[in-house]
Amino acid sequence: MSELESRLSQLGRELDWPVAPDLASAVRERLDAGERLEAPARRRRRPVVFRRSLAIALAALLLLAGGVLAAAPGVRDSVLDFFGLQGATVERREELPPAPPPRPLRLGERTTLDAARDSLGFAPLVPEAAGRPDRVYVDRSVPGGLLSLAYGPRAGMPEAKSTGLGLLVSEFRGDLAPEYAGKIAGGATRVERVSVDGHRALWLEGAPHFFFYRAPDEPIREERLRIAQNVLLLEDGRMLVRFEGAFDLDRALELARSLR
Amino acid sequence: MHQTIAFRTAWVITRSDADAEEAAQDAFVKAHAALQRFREDAPFRPWLLAIVANEARNRVRSAGRRTGLALRVAEERRPDDAVPSPEAALLDSERRERLLAAIERLPEPARQAIACRYLLELSEEETAAALDCPRGTVKSRLSRALERLRMELGEEVQA
Repeated sequence: MSELESRLSQLGRELDWPVAPDLASAVRERLDAGERLEAPARRRRRPVVFRRSLAIALAALLLLAGGVLAAAPGVRDSVLDFFGLQGATVERREELPPAPPPRPLRLGERTTLDAARDSLGFAPLVPEAAGRPDRVYVDRSVPGGLLSLAYGPRAGMPEAKSTGLGLLVSEFRGDLAPEYAGKIAGGATRVERVSVDGHRALWLEGAPHFFFYRAPDEPIREERLRIAQNVLLLEDGRMLVRFEGAFDLDRALELARSLR
Repeated sequence: MHQTIAFRTAWVITRSDADAEEAAQDAFVKAHAALQRFREDAPFRPWLLAIVANEARNRVRSAGRRTGLALRVAEERRPDDAVPSPEAALLDSERRERLLAAIERLPEPARQAIACRYLLELSEEETAAALDCPRGTVKSRLSRALERLRMELGEEVQA
Protein backbone atom coordinates (compact mmCIF):
# COMPACT_ATOMS: atom_id res chain seq x y z
CA MET A 1 0.00 0.00 0.00
CA SER A 2 1.40 3.40 -0.95
CA GLU A 3 1.86 6.22 1.52
CA LEU A 4 -1.20 8.00 0.13
CA GLU A 5 -3.35 4.89 0.44
CA SER A 6 -2.21 4.45 4.04
CA ARG A 7 -3.00 8.07 4.77
CA LEU A 8 -6.47 7.69 3.27
CA SER A 9 -7.20 4.64 5.42
CA GLN A 10 -5.92 6.44 8.50
CA LEU A 11 -8.06 9.45 7.61
CA GLY A 12 -11.14 7.23 7.42
CA ARG A 13 -10.49 6.04 10.97
CA GLU A 14 -10.16 9.60 12.20
CA LEU A 15 -13.25 11.01 10.55
CA ASP A 16 -16.19 12.09 12.59
CA TRP A 17 -18.66 9.78 10.87
CA PRO A 18 -22.34 10.33 11.60
CA VAL A 19 -23.40 7.93 14.35
CA ALA A 20 -25.21 4.93 12.90
CA PRO A 21 -28.82 4.82 14.10
CA ASP A 22 -30.32 1.75 15.74
CA LEU A 23 -31.41 0.19 12.47
CA ALA A 24 -32.14 -3.17 13.98
CA SER A 25 -35.07 -2.04 16.10
CA ALA A 26 -36.69 -0.25 13.19
CA VAL A 27 -36.10 -3.16 10.83
CA ARG A 28 -37.46 -5.63 13.30
CA GLU A 29 -40.61 -3.54 13.83
CA ARG A 30 -41.15 -3.42 10.11
CA LEU A 31 -40.68 -7.15 9.74
CA ASP A 32 -42.96 -7.82 12.69
CA ALA A 33 -45.57 -5.68 10.97
CA GLY A 34 -45.32 -8.04 8.02
CA GLU A 35 -43.55 -5.68 5.68
CA ARG A 36 -41.77 -7.31 2.83
CA LEU A 37 -39.88 -5.48 0.14
CA GLU A 38 -38.52 -7.23 -2.87
CA ALA A 39 -34.78 -7.13 -3.34
CA PRO A 40 -33.45 -6.64 -6.84
CA ALA A 41 -32.83 -9.92 -8.60
CA ARG A 42 -29.24 -11.02 -8.99
CA ARG A 43 -27.81 -10.45 -12.38
CA ARG A 44 -25.34 -13.31 -12.39
CA ARG A 45 -26.62 -16.62 -13.55
CA ARG A 46 -25.15 -18.94 -10.98
CA PRO A 47 -26.84 -21.69 -9.06
CA VAL A 48 -28.68 -20.29 -6.09
CA VAL A 49 -28.42 -22.20 -2.87
CA PHE A 50 -29.66 -21.09 0.50
CA ARG A 51 -26.86 -21.27 2.98
CA ARG A 52 -27.83 -20.96 6.55
CA SER A 53 -24.49 -19.80 7.84
CA LEU A 54 -24.56 -16.84 5.54
CA ALA A 55 -27.98 -15.89 6.75
CA ILE A 56 -26.81 -15.46 10.28
CA ALA A 57 -25.04 -12.21 9.78
CA LEU A 58 -28.14 -10.67 8.32
CA ALA A 59 -30.29 -12.25 10.96
CA ALA A 60 -28.12 -10.42 13.44
CA LEU A 61 -29.54 -7.19 12.26
CA LEU A 62 -33.04 -8.40 12.14
CA LEU A 63 -33.02 -9.88 15.54
CA LEU A 64 -31.10 -7.41 17.54
CA ALA A 65 -33.73 -5.53 19.38
CA GLY A 66 -35.22 -6.10 22.76
CA GLY A 67 -35.52 -8.89 25.26
CA VAL A 68 -34.36 -12.46 25.25
CA LEU A 69 -34.74 -13.82 21.76
CA ALA A 70 -34.03 -17.46 22.29
CA ALA A 71 -37.71 -18.32 22.12
CA ALA A 72 -38.62 -15.95 19.33
CA PRO A 73 -40.89 -17.57 16.77
CA GLY A 74 -40.97 -17.96 13.02
CA VAL A 75 -37.95 -17.08 11.02
CA ARG A 76 -36.01 -16.47 14.18
CA ASP A 77 -36.11 -20.16 15.00
CA SER A 78 -34.55 -21.05 11.72
CA VAL A 79 -31.45 -18.93 12.00
CA LEU A 80 -29.00 -18.15 14.70
CA ASP A 81 -29.80 -15.28 16.97
CA PHE A 82 -27.57 -12.28 17.19
CA PHE A 83 -27.45 -9.43 19.57
CA GLY A 84 -25.15 -6.50 19.10
CA LEU A 85 -23.86 -3.20 20.27
CA GLN A 86 -21.48 -0.88 18.55
CA GLY A 87 -18.19 -2.66 19.09
CA ALA A 88 -19.50 -6.08 19.99
CA THR A 89 -21.76 -8.81 18.80
CA VAL A 90 -23.27 -11.72 20.65
CA GLU A 91 -24.00 -14.71 18.52
CA ARG A 92 -26.19 -17.52 19.77
CA ARG A 93 -25.32 -20.87 18.29
CA GLU A 94 -26.91 -24.23 18.60
CA GLU A 95 -23.47 -25.81 18.66
CA LEU A 96 -20.61 -24.16 20.44
CA PRO A 97 -17.03 -24.42 19.22
CA PRO A 98 -14.71 -26.77 21.10
CA ALA A 99 -13.60 -25.27 24.40
CA PRO A 100 -10.11 -23.82 24.09
CA PRO A 101 -7.59 -24.89 26.74
CA PRO A 102 -7.29 -22.42 29.61
CA ARG A 103 -4.59 -19.84 29.03
CA PRO A 104 -3.32 -16.94 31.06
CA LEU A 105 -5.16 -13.71 30.33
CA ARG A 106 -3.35 -11.61 27.79
CA LEU A 107 -4.37 -8.06 28.45
CA GLY A 108 -1.47 -6.19 26.91
CA GLU A 109 1.18 -4.07 28.51
CA ARG A 110 1.06 -3.32 32.24
CA THR A 111 0.72 0.40 32.88
CA THR A 112 -0.90 2.91 35.22
CA LEU A 113 -4.20 4.75 34.90
CA ASP A 114 -2.44 8.07 34.42
CA ALA A 115 -0.18 6.70 31.70
CA ALA A 116 -3.15 5.00 30.03
CA ARG A 117 -5.08 8.28 30.09
CA ASP A 118 -2.29 9.93 28.08
CA SER A 119 -1.84 7.18 25.53
CA LEU A 120 -5.36 6.04 24.64
CA GLY A 121 -7.75 7.45 22.08
CA PHE A 122 -10.35 7.92 24.84
CA ALA A 123 -10.63 8.91 28.48
CA PRO A 124 -10.56 5.80 30.72
CA LEU A 125 -13.69 5.17 32.78
CA VAL A 126 -13.34 3.66 36.26
CA PRO A 127 -16.22 2.07 38.20
CA GLU A 128 -16.14 4.01 41.46
CA ALA A 129 -18.16 1.31 43.18
CA ALA A 130 -15.13 -0.99 42.78
CA GLY A 131 -12.50 1.58 43.70
CA ARG A 132 -9.16 1.94 41.99
CA PRO A 133 -8.08 -1.10 39.97
CA ASP A 134 -5.28 -3.30 41.27
CA ARG A 135 -3.67 -3.53 37.85
CA VAL A 136 -4.07 -1.63 34.59
CA TYR A 137 -3.17 -2.90 31.11
CA VAL A 138 -3.24 -1.40 27.63
CA ASP A 139 -3.31 -3.36 24.38
CA ARG A 140 -2.37 -1.06 21.52
CA SER A 141 -3.07 -3.58 18.77
CA VAL A 142 -6.75 -2.60 18.97
CA PRO A 143 -7.79 0.55 17.05
CA GLY A 144 -7.95 3.31 19.67
CA GLY A 145 -6.40 0.99 22.26
CA LEU A 146 -7.93 -1.56 24.64
CA LEU A 147 -7.82 -0.71 28.33
CA SER A 148 -8.18 -3.47 30.95
CA LEU A 149 -8.75 -2.78 34.64
CA ALA A 150 -8.12 -5.82 36.86
CA TYR A 151 -9.53 -6.13 40.39
CA GLY A 152 -8.67 -8.95 42.77
CA PRO A 153 -11.51 -10.90 44.42
CA ARG A 154 -13.23 -9.09 47.29
CA ALA A 155 -16.63 -8.74 48.96
CA GLY A 156 -19.31 -8.47 46.31
CA MET A 157 -16.86 -9.55 43.63
CA PRO A 158 -15.94 -13.23 44.18
CA GLU A 159 -13.22 -14.85 42.10
CA ALA A 160 -14.36 -15.69 38.58
CA LYS A 161 -13.06 -19.02 37.28
CA SER A 162 -12.64 -17.52 33.83
CA THR A 163 -10.21 -14.80 34.90
CA GLY A 164 -9.11 -15.53 38.47
CA LEU A 165 -10.20 -11.96 39.19
CA GLY A 166 -13.02 -10.36 41.11
CA LEU A 167 -13.70 -7.98 38.24
CA LEU A 168 -12.23 -7.40 34.83
CA VAL A 169 -13.27 -4.19 33.08
CA SER A 170 -12.32 -3.79 29.41
CA GLU A 171 -12.82 -0.58 27.46
CA PHE A 172 -12.32 0.33 23.82
CA ARG A 173 -13.70 2.61 21.13
CA GLY A 174 -16.60 0.70 19.65
CA ASP A 175 -16.85 3.11 16.76
CA LEU A 176 -13.23 2.55 15.72
CA ALA A 177 -13.41 -1.20 16.10
CA PRO A 178 -17.04 -1.92 15.26
CA GLU A 179 -16.70 -5.67 15.06
CA TYR A 180 -13.80 -6.16 17.35
CA ALA A 181 -15.30 -8.06 20.26
CA GLY A 182 -17.74 -10.89 20.07
CA LYS A 183 -19.36 -13.58 22.08
CA ILE A 184 -20.68 -16.94 21.13
CA ALA A 185 -23.41 -18.17 23.44
CA GLY A 186 -25.18 -21.52 23.61
CA GLY A 187 -28.84 -22.00 24.40
CA ALA A 188 -28.15 -22.26 28.15
CA THR A 189 -26.72 -18.78 28.39
CA ARG A 190 -29.20 -16.07 29.28
CA VAL A 191 -28.74 -13.05 27.02
CA GLU A 192 -30.75 -10.01 27.97
CA ARG A 193 -30.86 -6.48 26.69
CA VAL A 194 -30.81 -3.99 29.53
CA SER A 195 -30.42 -0.24 29.91
CA VAL A 196 -27.92 1.57 32.10
CA ASP A 197 -28.91 5.19 32.63
CA GLY A 198 -30.27 5.31 29.10
CA HIS A 199 -27.30 3.53 27.52
CA ARG A 200 -27.78 0.25 25.69
CA ALA A 201 -26.30 -2.80 27.35
CA LEU A 202 -26.36 -6.58 27.14
CA TRP A 203 -26.18 -9.01 30.04
CA LEU A 204 -24.90 -12.56 29.57
CA GLU A 205 -25.33 -14.96 32.44
CA GLY A 206 -25.50 -18.65 33.17
CA ALA A 207 -23.63 -21.24 31.21
CA PRO A 208 -20.14 -20.12 30.23
CA HIS A 209 -19.96 -18.55 26.82
CA PHE A 210 -17.10 -17.82 24.51
CA PHE A 211 -15.47 -14.50 24.12
CA PHE A 212 -13.24 -13.38 21.30
CA TYR A 213 -11.57 -10.40 19.79
CA ARG A 214 -10.88 -9.97 16.14
CA ALA A 215 -9.55 -7.35 13.83
CA PRO A 216 -12.00 -6.05 11.22
CA ASP A 217 -12.51 -8.51 8.35
CA GLU A 218 -10.26 -11.08 9.95
CA PRO A 219 -11.43 -14.48 11.04
CA ILE A 220 -11.62 -15.09 14.77
CA ARG A 221 -8.19 -15.88 16.05
CA GLU A 222 -8.36 -19.06 18.01
CA GLU A 223 -5.87 -17.97 20.61
CA ARG A 224 -8.15 -15.09 21.45
CA LEU A 225 -11.16 -17.28 22.03
CA ARG A 226 -11.73 -18.00 25.68
CA ILE A 227 -14.48 -19.02 28.05
CA ALA A 228 -16.06 -16.06 29.82
CA GLN A 229 -18.22 -15.80 32.93
CA ASN A 230 -21.07 -13.38 33.56
CA VAL A 231 -20.63 -10.30 31.44
CA LEU A 232 -22.27 -6.91 31.11
CA LEU A 233 -21.54 -5.11 27.82
CA LEU A 234 -22.28 -1.42 27.95
CA GLU A 235 -22.36 0.98 25.00
CA ASP A 236 -21.55 4.46 26.25
CA GLY A 237 -21.36 6.85 23.32
CA ARG A 238 -18.37 5.77 21.29
CA MET A 239 -17.11 3.51 24.04
CA LEU A 240 -17.79 -0.15 24.64
CA VAL A 241 -17.23 -1.14 28.27
CA ARG A 242 -17.27 -4.76 29.35
CA PHE A 243 -17.58 -6.05 32.92
CA GLU A 244 -16.73 -9.68 33.58
CA GLY A 245 -17.03 -11.45 36.91
CA ALA A 246 -18.90 -13.98 39.05
CA PHE A 247 -21.44 -11.39 40.19
CA ASP A 248 -25.13 -10.99 39.37
CA LEU A 249 -26.88 -8.46 37.16
CA ASP A 250 -27.71 -6.10 40.04
CA ARG A 251 -24.07 -5.86 41.00
CA ALA A 252 -23.02 -5.45 37.38
CA LEU A 253 -25.51 -2.60 36.96
CA GLU A 254 -24.26 -0.97 40.14
CA LEU A 255 -20.70 -1.11 38.80
CA ALA A 256 -21.75 0.21 35.42
CA ARG A 257 -23.70 3.12 36.91
CA SER A 258 -20.67 4.16 38.94
CA LEU A 259 -18.42 4.65 35.90
CA ARG A 260 -16.67 8.01 36.07
CA MET B 1 -21.74 -4.70 13.29
CA HIS B 2 -22.96 -4.67 9.73
CA GLN B 3 -25.29 -1.85 10.74
CA THR B 4 -22.42 0.60 10.96
CA ILE B 5 -20.77 -0.26 7.67
CA ALA B 6 -24.13 -0.40 5.91
CA PHE B 7 -25.14 3.00 7.23
CA ARG B 8 -21.78 4.57 6.38
CA THR B 9 -21.81 3.11 2.87
CA ALA B 10 -25.27 4.57 2.32
CA TRP B 11 -24.07 7.85 3.78
CA VAL B 12 -21.09 8.04 1.42
CA ILE B 13 -23.55 7.84 -1.47
CA THR B 14 -26.40 10.00 -0.14
CA ARG B 15 -24.41 12.34 2.13
CA SER B 16 -27.55 12.69 4.19
CA ASP B 17 -28.14 11.10 7.59
CA ALA B 18 -31.87 10.70 7.01
CA ASP B 19 -31.51 9.25 3.50
CA ALA B 20 -28.73 6.92 4.62
CA GLU B 21 -30.85 5.64 7.49
CA GLU B 22 -33.84 5.04 5.22
CA ALA B 23 -31.71 3.39 2.57
CA ALA B 24 -30.06 1.07 5.08
CA GLN B 25 -33.38 0.18 6.71
CA ASP B 26 -35.03 -0.61 3.39
CA ALA B 27 -31.98 -2.59 2.34
CA PHE B 28 -32.17 -4.82 5.41
CA VAL B 29 -35.87 -5.44 4.89
CA LYS B 30 -35.20 -6.32 1.25
CA ALA B 31 -32.24 -8.45 2.15
CA HIS B 32 -34.40 -10.35 4.60
CA ALA B 33 -36.89 -11.06 1.85
CA ALA B 34 -34.04 -12.24 -0.33
CA LEU B 35 -32.34 -14.55 2.16
CA GLN B 36 -33.26 -17.51 0.02
CA ARG B 37 -31.17 -16.12 -2.79
CA PHE B 38 -27.88 -16.35 -0.98
CA ARG B 39 -25.40 -18.27 -3.03
CA GLU B 40 -23.44 -20.91 -1.25
CA ASP B 41 -20.13 -19.50 -2.39
CA ALA B 42 -21.05 -15.85 -1.94
CA PRO B 43 -19.50 -13.78 0.80
CA PHE B 44 -22.10 -11.94 2.84
CA ARG B 45 -20.93 -8.35 3.07
CA PRO B 46 -20.63 -7.55 -0.66
CA TRP B 47 -24.12 -8.93 -1.18
CA LEU B 48 -25.55 -6.81 1.60
CA LEU B 49 -23.63 -3.68 0.61
CA ALA B 50 -24.80 -3.99 -2.99
CA ILE B 51 -28.41 -3.84 -1.79
CA VAL B 52 -27.66 -0.96 0.59
CA ALA B 53 -25.83 1.06 -2.06
CA ASN B 54 -28.59 0.47 -4.59
CA GLU B 55 -31.15 1.82 -2.14
CA ALA B 56 -28.91 4.80 -1.46
CA ARG B 57 -28.50 5.57 -5.17
CA ASN B 58 -32.27 5.41 -5.64
CA ARG B 59 -32.66 8.11 -3.02
CA VAL B 60 -30.00 10.32 -4.57
CA ARG B 61 -31.69 9.97 -7.96
CA SER B 62 -35.13 10.82 -6.62
CA ALA B 63 -33.86 13.73 -4.55
CA GLY B 64 -31.58 15.00 -7.30
CA ARG B 65 -29.30 16.22 -4.58
CA ARG B 66 -25.57 16.66 -4.50
CA THR B 67 -24.44 18.23 -1.27
CA GLY B 68 -20.85 18.37 -0.12
CA LEU B 69 -19.14 15.65 1.83
CA ALA B 70 -19.71 16.94 5.33
CA LEU B 71 -17.18 14.73 6.99
CA ARG B 72 -14.77 16.28 9.43
CA VAL B 73 -11.80 14.89 11.24
CA ALA B 74 -12.80 13.89 14.76
CA GLU B 75 -11.63 16.21 17.50
CA GLU B 76 -10.12 13.55 19.68
CA ARG B 77 -6.46 12.73 19.49
CA ARG B 78 -5.50 9.84 17.32
CA PRO B 79 -5.19 6.58 19.23
CA ASP B 80 -1.59 5.88 18.30
CA ASP B 81 -0.37 9.35 19.07
CA ALA B 82 2.14 10.08 21.68
CA VAL B 83 1.65 13.67 22.82
CA PRO B 84 2.62 15.68 19.74
CA SER B 85 4.01 19.16 19.89
CA PRO B 86 1.43 21.87 19.11
CA GLU B 87 3.22 22.57 15.82
CA ALA B 88 3.22 18.90 14.81
CA ALA B 89 -0.44 18.53 15.78
CA LEU B 90 -1.38 21.57 13.70
CA LEU B 91 0.60 20.31 10.73
CA ASP B 92 -1.02 16.91 11.05
CA SER B 93 -4.47 18.42 11.25
CA GLU B 94 -3.84 20.65 8.24
CA ARG B 95 -2.61 17.70 6.19
CA ARG B 96 -5.74 15.76 7.00
CA GLU B 97 -8.02 18.68 6.16
CA ARG B 98 -6.16 19.18 2.86
CA LEU B 99 -6.57 15.53 2.00
CA LEU B 100 -10.28 15.62 2.85
CA ALA B 101 -10.75 18.75 0.74
CA ALA B 102 -8.91 17.13 -2.18
CA ILE B 103 -11.19 14.09 -1.94
CA GLU B 104 -14.20 16.36 -2.04
CA ARG B 105 -13.00 17.96 -5.26
CA LEU B 106 -12.87 14.59 -7.04
CA PRO B 107 -15.60 13.70 -9.54
CA GLU B 108 -18.43 11.80 -7.83
CA PRO B 109 -17.54 8.27 -9.06
CA ALA B 110 -13.91 8.73 -8.01
CA ARG B 111 -14.91 10.23 -4.67
CA GLN B 112 -17.19 7.30 -3.93
CA ALA B 113 -14.51 4.80 -4.93
CA ILE B 114 -11.95 6.45 -2.63
CA ALA B 115 -14.47 6.72 0.20
CA CYS B 116 -15.55 3.08 -0.03
CA ARG B 117 -12.14 1.53 -0.60
CA TYR B 118 -10.04 3.60 1.78
CA LEU B 119 -12.16 5.71 4.14
CA LEU B 120 -14.53 2.83 4.85
CA GLU B 121 -11.81 0.25 4.23
CA LEU B 122 -14.09 -1.98 2.17
CA SER B 123 -12.39 -4.74 0.21
CA GLU B 124 -12.08 -4.36 -3.54
CA GLU B 125 -14.92 -6.83 -3.98
CA GLU B 126 -17.12 -4.93 -1.52
CA THR B 127 -16.30 -1.65 -3.21
CA ALA B 128 -17.25 -3.11 -6.58
CA ALA B 129 -20.52 -4.38 -5.13
CA ALA B 130 -21.31 -1.04 -3.53
CA LEU B 131 -20.51 0.90 -6.69
CA ASP B 132 -22.26 -1.66 -8.89
CA CYS B 133 -19.36 -2.03 -11.28
CA PRO B 134 -16.72 -4.68 -12.10
CA ARG B 135 -13.57 -4.88 -10.02
CA GLY B 136 -11.53 -3.75 -12.99
CA THR B 137 -13.50 -0.51 -13.09
CA VAL B 138 -12.93 -0.01 -9.37
CA LYS B 139 -9.19 -0.49 -9.91
CA SER B 140 -9.01 2.01 -12.75
CA ARG B 141 -11.16 4.58 -10.92
CA LEU B 142 -9.00 4.25 -7.85
CA SER B 143 -5.82 4.50 -9.85
CA ARG B 144 -6.96 7.71 -11.56
CA ALA B 145 -8.30 9.15 -8.31
CA LEU B 146 -5.06 8.43 -6.46
CA GLU B 147 -3.08 10.02 -9.27
CA ARG B 148 -5.23 13.13 -9.12
CA LEU B 149 -4.92 13.33 -5.35
CA ARG B 150 -1.13 13.04 -5.63
CA MET B 151 -1.09 15.88 -8.14
CA GLU B 152 -3.27 18.06 -5.94
CA LEU B 153 -1.26 17.37 -2.83
CA GLY B 154 2.01 17.94 -4.65
CA GLU B 155 5.13 16.60 -3.00
CA GLU B 156 3.37 16.00 0.25
CA VAL B 157 2.89 12.35 -0.64
CA GLN B 158 5.09 9.85 -2.33
CA ALA B 159 3.96 7.28 -4.86
